[in-house]
Amino acid sequence: MRVKVWGARGSVPAPGPEMNRYGGNTSCCEVTLSSGETLILDAGTGIRTLGFSLPPDLPRINILLTHLHLDHIQGLMFFPPCFRAESSIRIWGPSSPEASLEARIARYISAPLSPVEVRELPCEVSFLDAPASEWQIGSATIRAEAVTHRGPTLGFRITDGDTTLCYIPDHEPGLGAALGELDPEWISGFNLACDADLLIHDCQYTDEEYPGHEGWGHSPIDDTITFARRVGAKRVLLFHHDPLHTDGFLDDLHRSAAARWVSLGGSEGAVEIAQERAEIVVEASGTGEETAPAPVSSTKVPAPANQVSV
Amino acid sequence: MSGSQKPLELILARNLLTSVTTPSLLVGRGGQLLFYNEAAGALLGRPFEDVGQMAPDEWTRAFGPFEDDGSPTPIEDLPLTDALREGRPAHGEFRIRFSDGAYHRIAASAMPIVGGGDGASGAMVIFWPVDDEKAREVTTGRHEVVR
Repeated sequence: MRVKVWGARGSVPAPGPEMNRYGGNTSCCEVTLSSGETLILDAGTGIRTLGFSLPPDLPRINILLTHLHLDHIQGLMFFPPCFRAESSIRIWGPSSPEASLEARIARYISAPLSPVEVRELPCEVSFLDAPASEWQIGSATIRAEAVTHRGPTLGFRITDGDTTLCYIPDHEPGLGAALGELDPEWISGFNLACDADLLIHDCQYTDEEYPGHEGWGHSPIDDTITFARRVGAKRVLLFHHDPLHTDGFLDDLHRSAAARWVSLGGSEGAVEIAQERAEIVVEASGTGEETAPAPVSSTKVPAPANQVSV
Repeated sequence: MSGSQKPLELILARNLLTSVTTPSLLVGRGGQLLFYNEAAGALLGRPFEDVGQMAPDEWTRAFGPFEDDGSPTPIEDLPLTDALREGRPAHGEFRIRFSDGAYHRIAASAMPIVGGGDGASGAMVIFWPVDDEKAREVTTGRHEVVR
């Protein structure tokens, strides 16, 4: 399985020279399965450039939406395959008792926010509620479960052969909970991420920033790393960067997170930070001593030195 | 992988109950006791950490409610059963056994918790003493947390 990051930013696109290295596009990852099939995780603004890179004769495109916040769907309307009659696109997302997935997405792809309506798209597009049980796309078995965020939000567990990727870009599992002490059954997202070879996870805030954003649906470094250690993830990709965080700031955030991981017994080099256009090969890393470590104590990590205030 | 991970709505309900100062408990779809908060532990005489999750017949035998002859009230007769089966709030008054070993009368309100699946995935029960002395202790915060 290969993952390519097309957008790692959270909340709102953040272009600018001080963001060039990590990029300013919002959430979007391309997953290439061993069967050759492509999955797209979220449709933030990163999906626009991804769309240009896809072969025009790709038979079918599957887009898995974790939720419908704008930073996860904003690129849909600018996704080139949407405007090709020969494209077949399936969009999977969280169900809601309030309205169908199509009706909820159409609130964005409709006037006055959009010059086109969903029904005007020339492609063949279908909107599907993510099933409650596992389902198959190409060589991947996919499982979706609700996770702690604001509004109906899913995380995805994607297993291809003996390799597992877990994608939870917007997640606040530590909200009102001591992640280091809880039994696994009471931790949001635990089963999704358990023993994942790569966990792509929300790490929007430093521990110092978090108290001002508690309940906003995102994680600070300490909760991200504690969660990753509790679930026994083999590698972690820090994701959903705050739009205020510059390249230098994210370098320091990455160092702090890596130090925290090692302090909890994790191996060096297993914590990475998402960078636009970066490609990651996900390989099975086996099980063993890294699996589901015992509860850990929670210690806050110092803020990166070059924190900006805006 | 943990096969028995709780649905998100129960995880969030438990998080909420830890901050509620009125005695409260959380039950699963089948009536099993999943959690009770510190205030409930103070009344019942044992913190949840010492008790853990319990099957319906276990926790009703331990804590009640009890009939006038001392036998546990069948779980089918509790408001939480209505909350779970019918997906609506329910309320009742019962006798349960407190940490002082004596039976006290309580009022209990049960509210269903509904998630993505069919029906209620659990219920939240808030209860409080209605006999005068105990009620005064709870409303004035004069109970001690048992550790």
